[in-house]
Amino acid sequence: MIQLELVKKVFPNTTVPAVDEVTFSINKGNICVFVGPSGCGKTTILRMINRLVEPTSGNIYVDGENILDVDSDELRRRIGYVIQQIGLLPHRTIEQNVGLVPRLLKWSEAKIKQRVMELLEIVGLDPVETAWKYPYQLSGGQMQRAGVARALAADPPIMLMDEPFGAVDPIVRGRLQDEFLRLQQEVKKTICFVTHDINEALKMGDYIVVMNMGKLVQKGTPMEVLSNPANKFVKDMIGDDRGVKLLDLTRAESLMTAVTEGSAAARDCSCFLDAIQPVKMALEVMMKNDSDVVGICRGKEVVGTLSWTEIKKHIHKISGDQE
Amino acid sequence: MNFELERFVEAMLDRSPPYILEHLQLVLIPLGIATAIAFPVGVLLTRPRFRRYTGRVMSIFNAGQTIPPLAVIAVFFPFLGLGYWPAVIALTIYALLPIARNTLAGLAAVPREVKDAARGMGMTEWQILSQVELPLSLPVVMSGIKTSAVLTAGTAALAALVGGKGMGAVIFAGINFFRMELILAGTIYIGIIAVLLDRVLTFVEEKMTPSYMK
Repeated sequence: MIQLELVKKVFPNTTVPAVDEVTFSINKGNICVFVGPSGCGKTTILRMINRLVEPTSGNIYVDGENILDVDSDELRRRIGYVIQQIGLLPHRTIEQNVGLVPRLLKWSEAKIKQRVMELLEIVGLDPVETAWKYPYQLSGGQMQRAGVARALAADPPIMLMDEPFGAVDPIVRGRLQDEFLRLQQEVKKTICFVTHDINEALKMGDYIVVMNMGKLVQKGTPMEVLSNPANKFVKDMIGDDRGVKLLDLTRAESLMTAVTEGSAAARDCSCFLDAIQPVKMALEVMMKNDSDVVGICRGKEVVGTLSWTEIKKHIHKISGDQE
Repeated sequence: MNFELERFVEAMLDRSPPYILEHLQLVLIPLGIATAIAFPVGVLLTRPRFRRYTGRVMSIFNAGQTIPPLAVIAVFFPFLGLGYWPAVIALTIYALLPIARNTLAGLAAVPREVKDAARGMGMTEWQILSQVELPLSLPVVMSGIKTSAVLTAGTAALAALVGGKGMGAVIFAGINFFRMELILAGTIYIGIIAVLLDRVLTFVEEKMTPSYMK
């Protein structure tokens, strides 16, 4: 768990605070995404949590402990850190890079070797192929994976990720995001994630913290931020396709009309969708099958129907709030 | 000035060789001392605590190179007199700048994000310096030492003027006696020494350069 209390940072020779009295907390096992334009202070917040930047005032607690009471090097070894530029040591092999923190923590060589191989596997790199290579021999996507593996190496409960997938093309980025979310289901880290991409924020975050000019503008779940933007800044950042984005976050089951298996309504459906899929997928299925209604299933059972009219009504309701 | 092949051969084979080792010494000792001074100073000047002195210290090193070695000897003459050691001191001062400058440049060229990531992983300042910054900047530092070596090999000829011996003795004998053969032989040997030093240090440099940089 991470808590920030009225944290403020004014860099030397500047008057405007880079981070201005920000307060929030991140619960254990959650991904909290900081999103905002460049210069909004999101990276500075991240770097204050592992003391790469010291706050001017305010307090930061990690697992209830004031981080100023912990030796900064010790603290950093307990916190995973991934940056956009990756920063793999160019003169060390991938094995040595991933094993960096365990070596600092003086694990036994055998244990380090085993852990590195295991991690490379986890992040989707072939251990036998990759371990002995130097960073320059990897592709951008592979380097990002190695960066994530290095941050996970000593199994830190907390991860700080500064635009970790920012340096790769959109296709690879999407794949890395999906894989990371799947990985997070298993490892349940407490994660601070920085991005300037609102779509990435909505996709990755359990919570979103919107920042602008050093100030916290809004915090909430992606659903809350989307359906109830705090001001024009947040609304502009989300973009004009707010309704569609919401459909991406809304599960089909939350809008469906419940029906019973074998009923006439259920039998009328020519196409089906799993209940936990987003409403956006329902639209996709409808379009593909040239149908106005889709059956919603849990397992093999049809539990509801979702029609184009219902979706339209829903969008209209959200857009109605907007004006 | 005349040139006689026979005398030139004699100069090359008999007169000059005894001075080779002397001259090498006159290069390697100042080079060693200069490295021992300029390298740590260069490293210190890139540390946050001393960074503000960088300009001042570098201008001292700069001055060391702009002042002719003979003038340096003149300055030290009252304390050290003439001979071998004043020559060594003058050459040392001369060799400082390229090494210090390349140490600074090499350390400055270590990518920021690499240092940032290393710090973020929890490496101590000393670990970052010894395991990240120095290995990554070593090739640039080595090329500074190489520059100094070649520079010193040439300049060391002047040592003979103050009784510091070396291959310069052959050249100045040639000048004094109007013997072109001696001047040429001395110059050629200095050239060979410079080239050999360059080759040896290049070899060392290549050995030190990790494969990813080649």
